[in-house]
Amino acid sequence: MATIFITGMGNISPQKTWGDAPLLSEVTEHNSERLACVEPDYTQWFDPRQLRRMSRVLKMGVAAGSIALKEANITVPDAIITGTGYGCLEDTGIFLTKMVENNEEALNPTPFIQSTHNTIGSLIALMLQCQGYNQTYTQGAFSFENSLLDALMMVKEEPALKVLVGGVDEITDLSHTIQKRFGIFRAQPESNLNLFTTGRGTVNGEGAAYFVLSGEKVNDNAVGVEAVATFYKADEQTLKQGLDDLLRDAKLQVSDIDFVLLGTSGNAGTDKTLLDYTLKMFPESSTGVFKHLSGEHPVASSFAFWLAARMIQEQTIPSAVMLHDTGRKPKNVLIFNQYFGTHHAFILLKSCRASG
Amino acid sequence: MEQLMADLKKQIIEALNLKHLKPENIGDDQPLFGDGLGLDSIDALELIVLLQQNYKVKIENPQDGPTIFHSVKSIAEYIRANQTA
Repeated sequence: MATIFITGMGNISPQKTWGDAPLLSEVTEHNSERLACVEPDYTQWFDPRQLRRMSRVLKMGVAAGSIALKEANITVPDAIITGTGYGCLEDTGIFLTKMVENNEEALNPTPFIQSTHNTIGSLIALMLQCQGYNQTYTQGAFSFENSLLDALMMVKEEPALKVLVGGVDEITDLSHTIQKRFGIFRAQPESNLNLFTTGRGTVNGEGAAYFVLSGEKVNDNAVGVEAVATFYKADEQTLKQGLDDLLRDAKLQVSDIDFVLLGTSGNAGTDKTLLDYTLKMFPESSTGVFKHLSGEHPVASSFAFWLAARMIQEQTIPSAVMLHDTGRKPKNVLIFNQYFGTHHAFILLKSCRASG
Repeated sequence: MEQLMADLKKQIIEALNLKHLKPENIGDDQPLFGDGLGLDSIDALELIVLLQQNYKVKIENPQDGPTIFHSVKSIAEYIRANQTA
């Protein structure tokens, strides 16, 4: 397929991923099983009257979208596509709690209106007066991948389109307490930087990342999106076949992949399977990890997408990410994500730098 | 009446998340909507809920809304007139 370019990116995550600092020049350490976002001062985007009604996930989402649009040098996109696994959890929690407290009478309208998953994409559209296509995908850990797939199909049909696509999810006290009961997170708080070296279980994460995709290349250092593929409860053979198909469509060999960004999450069982498989499949590639930086959440792959694109742009791999270094420069980067061993996804990005 | 208006100002700031305001910034007769405090239609719904929850007062006729919610004073007067003992 014709190359589709990332022309703008905005990311608010548990790391300081906004602003002008070099890629992950400062890694934020969290001594908790819950990684909260490092948030910017939102008053640079919104006036107090707008902010008063916005929950945290809305602020994060709209701000990330604004950063991406600014970087792409556009004010209004042709479409807005959002992936979110949990949606606006804070307002959902308030709405449900009030419903119980008030005996299902006299419910506060604001958390009710803003409790739906599509509030984030809708609010971006309202603020931009964007009346174009607006879609929200909420299919658990494939929410971002499906959003990306929709965006890629749109731009493939009409390369002049500029599509804002992203993934957004938040942690709330209530959601964290409920999830913690499943025993999926670290039992004791410890540094996120030790996620892959000690203990068992992952760390909870959150984030908002938006990207502008277009078929029109706007600068010489553009990053291209080659492919996205998802696999639910797939065995090793299915994943191998899926990877072969993806690489064939991209006209690449396994040996062309310079860097594999892995979605290992600190769970000993699923991590070992993923690592063993990757080392077997990509013996010549460098490998790296990201979930100690973003935490685990349904749209953690949107953080990986941002990280991979930035690494390609800057032609460098931060030391906090590197796991196995072959010395290769990241030109073709494969994101190989997994979510609790049931959801697997490949996203392939490539450098479109004019000089090669 | 003075105490009721003071309570209402605090409750309005809390319910509508008007963190940039203090009770003393809201005048008794200051219009709440439009050019006054700048509230909108969703805030009107929040105020209806506030009256119902805190004062057990319902707005029976929606067309009376603009008059009742004109200012803190008009809300207080409506509460006084409609609150059952």
